[in-house]
Amino acid sequence: MAAAVSVTGLVKTFGRTRALAGLDLEVATGEVHGFLGPNGSGKSTTIRVLLGLLRPDAGRARLLGGDPWRDAVALHRRLAYVPGDVTLWPAISGGEAIDLLGRLQGGLDPRRRDELLERFDLDPRKKARTYSKGNRQKVALVAALASDAELLVLDEPTAGLDPLMEVVFQDDVRTARAEGRTVLLSSHILAEVEALCDRVSIIRRGRTVQTGTLAEMRHLTRTAVVVATREPASGLGAMPGVHDLRTDDDRVRFDVDNAHLDAVMAYLGGLGVRSLTSHPPTLEELFLRHYGDDAPESPPTAHHAHAAVP
Amino acid sequence: MPVVPAQADVLAPEVAARRAAAPATPTRRAPERRHGRRAAARRGSTFTGTGTLLRFALRRDRIRLPVWVAAAAALVAVQSRQSQDLYSGPGDLDAYAASVGSNPAIIAMTGPPVGLDTIGGAVAFEIGTTVAVVVGLMAVFTVVRHTRGDEEAGRTELVRAARVGRHAPVAAATAAAGAGGVGVAVSVAAVAAATGLPVGGAVVFGASLGVLALVFAAVAALASQVVEHPRAALGLGGAVLGAAVALRAVGDVGDGWLSWLSPVGWTQAAHAWSDNRWWPLLLGLGAVVLLVGGALQLVDRRDLGAGVVPTRPGRERAGRALSGPLGLAWRLQRAAMLGWAAGIALAGLMFGAVVDATLELADSNPDLVALLPGGAGDLVDAFLAVLLAMCALLVVAAGVSVVLRTLGEESTGRAELVLGTATDRVRWLGSHVLVALVGTAVLLALAGASIGAGYGLDTGDPSVVPQVARDALVLLPALWLVVAVTVALVGLAPHRAAAGAWGLVAYVAVVAMLADSLGWPDWVGALSPVAQTPAVPLEEVTVAPLVLLAVLAALGVLVGLAGFRRRDVG
Repeated sequence: MAAAVSVTGLVKTFGRTRALAGLDLEVATGEVHGFLGPNGSGKSTTIRVLLGLLRPDAGRARLLGGDPWRDAVALHRRLAYVPGDVTLWPAISGGEAIDLLGRLQGGLDPRRRDELLERFDLDPRKKARTYSKGNRQKVALVAALASDAELLVLDEPTAGLDPLMEVVFQDDVRTARAEGRTVLLSSHILAEVEALCDRVSIIRRGRTVQTGTLAEMRHLTRTAVVVATREPASGLGAMPGVHDLRTDDDRVRFDVDNAHLDAVMAYLGGLGVRSLTSHPPTLEELFLRHYGDDAPESPPTAHHAHAAVP
Repeated sequence: MPVVPAQADVLAPEVAARRAAAPATPTRRAPERRHGRRAAARRGSTFTGTGTLLRFALRRDRIRLPVWVAAAAALVAVQSRQSQDLYSGPGDLDAYAASVGSNPAIIAMTGPPVGLDTIGGAVAFEIGTTVAVVVGLMAVFTVVRHTRGDEEAGRTELVRAARVGRHAPVAAATAAAGAGGVGVAVSVAAVAAATGLPVGGAVVFGASLGVLALVFAAVAALASQVVEHPRAALGLGGAVLGAAVALRAVGDVGDGWLSWLSPVGWTQAAHAWSDNRWWPLLLGLGAVVLLVGGALQLVDRRDLGAGVVPTRPGRERAGRALSGPLGLAWRLQRAAMLGWAAGIALAGLMFGAVVDATLELADSNPDLVALLPGGAGDLVDAFLAVLLAMCALLVVAAGVSVVLRTLGEESTGRAELVLGTATDRVRWLGSHVLVALVGTAVLLALAGASIGAGYGLDTGDPSVVPQVARDALVLLPALWLVVAVTVALVGLAPHRAAAGAWGLVAYVAVVAMLADSLGWPDWVGALSPVAQTPAVPLEEVTVAPLVLLAVLAALGVLVGLAGFRRRDVG
């Protein structure tokens, strides 16, 4: 199927800051694509290039088969965008803002609008200045989700939502996918990406460091094991592929490269396993592996201030 | 300074009452009495933190306030040098006093004709109102920025959550503007004395302006409590300043009692360099106490973030008007435009109402008629031309602020939200430009009509209304060009657009209001579009310069839109 978004070698500099340094991104039509990276890694800048708000210095970006800069207006009829930090007009009510954005977009489904207002528990009569960050986010989400856009571009859309509203949001994204829409979801919230995304691109310092399905990424990585054995597992530390070994009382915790999992299991079997749990790495661990080692200044956490805007 | 870092550790009444009511054991009592002040400071009053907030406000305004102060001092310095050069010979001042001292148009624009036989009195007469407006604006902007501005941005909430009393932000903001007032007082007195004016009058003149800063700081402190938004608070403070200037204009042209209702009138009632009266400044200080007291009372009676005037709930659905970029632009600019319209109409009416007094005076004063080439008829026309040019400056400021508002839309991310929909960039910016251009035309016609109405009401001849409105529109191409240059700046150099556009407005204003009186050479004003426009109704309308200005304006808009199409947004 044709790609909804196709970006290769994107470069964008602001003064001396290199926000994008050759970024690649491919979003297939109909998928929910997670766009992950720490603050200032270039997620919002990429999205702004895709919206034709910024002009890239180098590289190629295609969106729904068109040029995001030249064909901005025509393409925007087919997409809906929720910025990471929604600012509204203080004197305009939420309901008015939703209708306005919908009309600028090319129309929204009024029944769906009311339904979404109900689901997100949003009072449309309040002036935007009285809204919290989460409520401003809901305004943009309702306007986007009530449109018939074939591509939803969501930049950290749940940063201000409470957990209940996050569930509502996840339901709506699943509905959108079921309807055949494509979703580009930039996020810090790993559980959200794990729950929603078919494929994930991890970016860091303006470059894509990894792309794939979650299964593919796990294949490349390690399994976390907690095991209690009758005999002390003293030989584990010397085995190839074993990392981060810790022993507390009779329990041993470690990570193991999947290529060496078989040998480690065979060794443990000889010691008499009393209990064993193992789990695939969480996205959090993936993140730490990619950014934790040499980028300690920007540790990714699940709940975070929204992306830095260059 | 009446407001009160010094009071920071004085007990608020309710705290004192609680302490008095609290049963204190004898063993605790003595140390508590001994350390009463410290205990009170620990417990805090409603002013706790004022000193810290004041220092922080001054730190935040370490560029802004000195610029305001320098502007005020520079105006006085330039006027002082200029007047001393112009009226250096014997009899020069007498001739000056005889000519301007009885001209109501000039009196309306400047101040009461007092002490014109002294060079200092002439300086105070000429520059007093202008400096007063600068100082008043300084106070209003400073206080609103640190009170309602911070409150809407959520910064006050953060500050008030710390160990800060609820009166502290207002007190600190007023004190910060007061510090600016002290700066004005000291530097105006210093430059006046340094340029050779008598020291006694210099001190009175400086002090009168310092008190004025305090009065408008207090006005803005109260306005910031009454309304919910910084823009509205600025508008309210500015309206009071405008009313103060207008009241003293009408008062000084008439029998003078209206001037006593105006803080600007109190400043001028000090009669610097002639009577050197201090007591009128007490009126100002009294007003400060009342206004700040009122503001603090309102702080006690309202929630953080709310105004005294509550905000109504909004509409559940957008009306038909709010369905495109133009509808949005109009909706966003509407309130400000109505505010400008009200201010301009008021100013026009007031100005128009003094025209007839000029006529009467000209009839009874052959000296005055002799000064003007065309006699009494031309005197009125010359006066109307000056009034139109002054109102045109207000109109162009409105037009420029409409265009510059798009920069705010960009920096807040609201432009991104709109341009992320199927909205063309050129249509988005063009909608605001259209509002600016049409708004400028409407406001200009309104300015002319209200000057005509003020004149017509006074003389019972309403037929002048459309005539003056038509005359006003001759200035339209010039104002459009200023607006168009602003559009070009927004499109090509957004980061410098605000400074560039306001710089241009300031240049046009200075040329229009000061070039003649300062005796600057003609080429200084050659680039001002207003100076290139025939001074109607005094001069004949010539079409060529108007067409040229209009063509340049169209070009500026096109350049701006083309630049905006090509640049990054946000």
